[in-house]
Amino acid sequence: MSSISELRRLRGSQRDTRQQNKAALFFLLPWFVGLFGITLGPMLASLYLSFTKYNLLQPPQFSGLDNWTRMLHDDRLHKSLEVTFTYVLVSVPLQLALALGLALLLDKGVRGLAFYRSVFYLPSLIGGSVAIAVLWRTVFGTDGLVNKALALVGIHGQGWVSEPGTALSTLIVLNVWTFGSPMVIFLAGLRQIPASLYEAASVDGAGRWRQFRNITLPLLTPIIFFNLVLQIIHAFQTFTQAFVVSGGTGGPADSTLFYSLYLYQRGFGQFDMGYASALAWLLLLIVGVFTAVNFWASKYWVFYDD
Amino acid sequence: MKASPFRRVAVGALASLSLVLTACSGGSAGSAPELSNKPVTLRVTWWGDDNRAKLTNEAIAAFEKKYPNIKIKGEYKDWNGYWDALATTTAAKDSPDVLQMDELYLASYADRGALYDLSKAKKFLGTSQFDAQALATGQVNETQYALPVGVGVSSIVVNTDLFKKYGVAIPDDKTWTWADYAKVAKELTDKSGGKINGAAGAPGFYAGDPKYWARQEGGNLFDKDGNVSIKPKALVDMWTYGLNLISSGAGIKASAMVEDLTAGVTAGTFATGKAAMMGAYNTQVTALQQATGAHLRLLQPPHDGNAKANFFKPSMYWAVSSQSQHPAEAATFVNFLLNDPAGADILKTERGIPANKQILKHLEPALTGTDKAAADYMNEVTPGPSPVVTPNGGSGIEPMLQRYTQEVYFKKTSPEDAAKAFIKELQGEIDAAK
Amino acid sequence: MTDRAIAVPTRSQPVARAHAARHGRRRVRALLKHVLLVACVLVMLYPVLWMVVSSLRPNSEIFRDAGLALTHPRLENYSNGWTAFAQPFSHYLVNSLLVVIGAILGNLLACSMAAYAFARLEFKAKRLWFGIMLVTIMLPIHVIIVPQYALFSQLGWVNTFLPLIVPKFLATDAFFIFLMVQFIRGIPREIDEAARIDGAGHARIFFNIIVPLMVPALATTAIFTFIWTWNDFYTQLIYLTDPSMYTTPLALRAFVDQQSATDWGSVFAMSVVSLVPVFLVFLFGQRFLLRGIATTGGK
Repeated sequence: MSSISELRRLRGSQRDTRQQNKAALFFLLPWFVGLFGITLGPMLASLYLSFTKYNLLQPPQFSGLDNWTRMLHDDRLHKSLEVTFTYVLVSVPLQLALALGLALLLDKGVRGLAFYRSVFYLPSLIGGSVAIAVLWRTVFGTDGLVNKALALVGIHGQGWVSEPGTALSTLIVLNVWTFGSPMVIFLAGLRQIPASLYEAASVDGAGRWRQFRNITLPLLTPIIFFNLVLQIIHAFQTFTQAFVVSGGTGGPADSTLFYSLYLYQRGFGQFDMGYASALAWLLLLIVGVFTAVNFWASKYWVFYDD
Repeated sequence: MKASPFRRVAVGALASLSLVLTACSGGSAGSAPELSNKPVTLRVTWWGDDNRAKLTNEAIAAFEKKYPNIKIKGEYKDWNGYWDALATTTAAKDSPDVLQMDELYLASYADRGALYDLSKAKKFLGTSQFDAQALATGQVNETQYALPVGVGVSSIVVNTDLFKKYGVAIPDDKTWTWADYAKVAKELTDKSGGKINGAAGAPGFYAGDPKYWARQEGGNLFDKDGNVSIKPKALVDMWTYGLNLISSGAGIKASAMVEDLTAGVTAGTFATGKAAMMGAYNTQVTALQQATGAHLRLLQPPHDGNAKANFFKPSMYWAVSSQSQHPAEAATFVNFLLNDPAGADILKTERGIPANKQILKHLEPALTGTDKAAADYMNEVTPGPSPVVTPNGGSGIEPMLQRYTQEVYFKKTSPEDAAKAFIKELQGEIDAAK
Repeated sequence: MTDRAIAVPTRSQPVARAHAARHGRRRVRALLKHVLLVACVLVMLYPVLWMVVSSLRPNSEIFRDAGLALTHPRLENYSNGWTAFAQPFSHYLVNSLLVVIGAILGNLLACSMAAYAFARLEFKAKRLWFGIMLVTIMLPIHVIIVPQYALFSQLGWVNTFLPLIVPKFLATDAFFIFLMVQFIRGIPREIDEAARIDGAGHARIFFNIIVPLMVPALATTAIFTFIWTWNDFYTQLIYLTDPSMYTTPLALRAFVDQQSATDWGSVFAMSVVSLVPVFLVFLFGQRFLLRGIATTGGK
């Protein structure tokens, strides 16, 4: 398929290597400056702080592995891990499935596409605003919409957003509801598939399903992969929605104590920034492992044309 | 491409690290400060809504007119954002000069050297018009780090319209006990046919609750040294009472309380007219009045045992950052806000009933409506001595308390176990901050 | 190009009948699709509509009514909210717009360049750098903010828009680099190989070939940057101190105070106002999402 590139690789002289290095430096220059100038310093600072006792207002004191061993016995940390893993494992697949399904539905052949797409994106626009807390109470509260609907069929519902047993589910619904971002990325990905491929397939007599399986799906795998990696990272870092809906407490009774929320409570609520930094690096390790596994597995199902 | 990135890593990391790591003390150690004869700009920060911003900016304009040498830059944030920003700027040695402070955070900032000792600026900031009780609420380790702006005192707000509607007599608040409160609440729920609940909320959601219940039984939440001294029994009594309130139908369900908590004071069960009584600070009555649109009255909280369980709580303080380069000017500004009738005429009671006696006297004749009701209530109550300031490390007491309360009210743990665990965790945080 | 079915010309009888049958089936399918979509729309939109309706209600009604019926529309919420602060609300909208425009330009330029390098060039320790890039996405902002604030305050950038814009020109939003890498890898390599044979350098390949082909990815980046920056509360809260520099989310948050009577009507009204630009950007921006290879004539 790519005989030209094969040829190039064979000819890949030292001059070419050096030229590519130079070009890479040029293209990556802004990123390098940002990495070394802005990003890396604070990151390394937080790594150092994870080995200290640091209350933000006074200089940190080196405390060795204290913060790290403390994690072993921190019940609230374990609770927050449980909450976060549940959230990631349930909401990410649901959200991606919905986003992909609607992207396929909205790709072409429906009248008023622009309207639908925008409407479906609306929830993502208000996902993190102050209004969302009120909104969610109105829908999932004791006197909320869901319960009013249930009352019509004679079911006496509970306060979904405020019962420890169901509060997390309402946040999962909230995340799925804001599926706009992955949907847009899917739509962009669908648009990138050359129309010529479909035309050729049509000529060969391939039906819709076969076109989907043999063209759409494989060519979309890089985008599916991207969405998967990113949504997992984002889900692990979920903060704003949980913060707004629970008023920053992670309540009721820690049932929505997301990892980042706990980290924030330790760092800013309790001035325990040394421990919060250690928590941040633990999160990085967890997310890093997930991402690495994702990349490793991608070899088996993601299709690149290069 | 090889060597330079690593050098830059080192430089970048060191730059930000060194800033965090070095302890540079404020610009104003030791001697008494003097006013500068050059123009000075101060940064002043507070939390609050648009209305507070408007009034404070007017006061700032009046101050700048009086002191043309001093320019004030006001910064306002919402409650949560305020503490994030204050911690961040203070950590980066870029703190504003004048800070609005809260009782929960006062010791956490003062003990860590972030606040300026106001007694050093006596010359510019008078305290004679505050009584000793009020001054004590701004002291940490016997040093005056902050001055209270306003005070509030705990009350039961009742919606008299609902009492009238369901034919329930308003109880005598001089003598009533918690059992009476529960009885009246139950009566309201029953007579309304379940349309409303007698009481919104139950004790255990605000830091003032365990203080009150501890004081009823002759104790205190914190002792003089800033350690947790509340007896488990006081907490058990408090939570057991709350559980009964919920199960009898006198009070709202636990889930409704959780919803009220995030809704804020003006959007909850009481504010929407679905409950007839609620514990609140007297200063919140104006906001509640606006939200309910009903006739409200302030009653003294019921008590079992010690009748002096109630106490004055500073609604907020003004403090000066120890990083300020201009403590004299900062103190002058605080003086204007707290002691100058010109400032008071603008700010009125927006930040609470003034703790400054003279100013209160100055404002009182002009107070009307709920503002007057709140001030009158203040004169009626007979509180005991002020409790000690929440110690360093205790700034997170409220969410912690709410967590245990929710576990109890949702029946995930018993009041006894929760009481023990709460005391242990709170003391642990205080010890860790030492 | 949305609906080709309309333009089917009638031909001879039997062909036309076959066409009509297929046409009919397609109609049914389209109808089903619409029913499904409209159902989705209603569920998705209810909360949004409730927000709009609430913005027209008096404060006392907002929390008592989960329905959509509106008896006396009240426009005062809008005028009150608009003038609640020292500056009219438009001031904060403009501030947000300035930050957003800077952020978009930065992200488009810096991230697409970095993405080209990762997707198309071979260079030393490429995988390591790519790994580092991903790691920078993973650390929560709350532990970085303090040292980063120290850095920016040392540079004298606090209370300017610089800490919100300059990092974008330095590709610190690595999310978008990754996004564009995935897109560029989806572009057949033969296209740029062919250009290379013709003697084009990397800069020319990037600007003349890759950039036009990745318009959907660029549009995605622009739209996301717009929305995320528009809604970003935390960094703006930390870096913008002077109220005249406040952006929309900061102004919105400043309405809400737990201790006093929040004017919820105004909050909702201004929330709706602040949604309008984002919605418009999305409505128009999505056109560019459609410009895939199919329409730019790449192949």
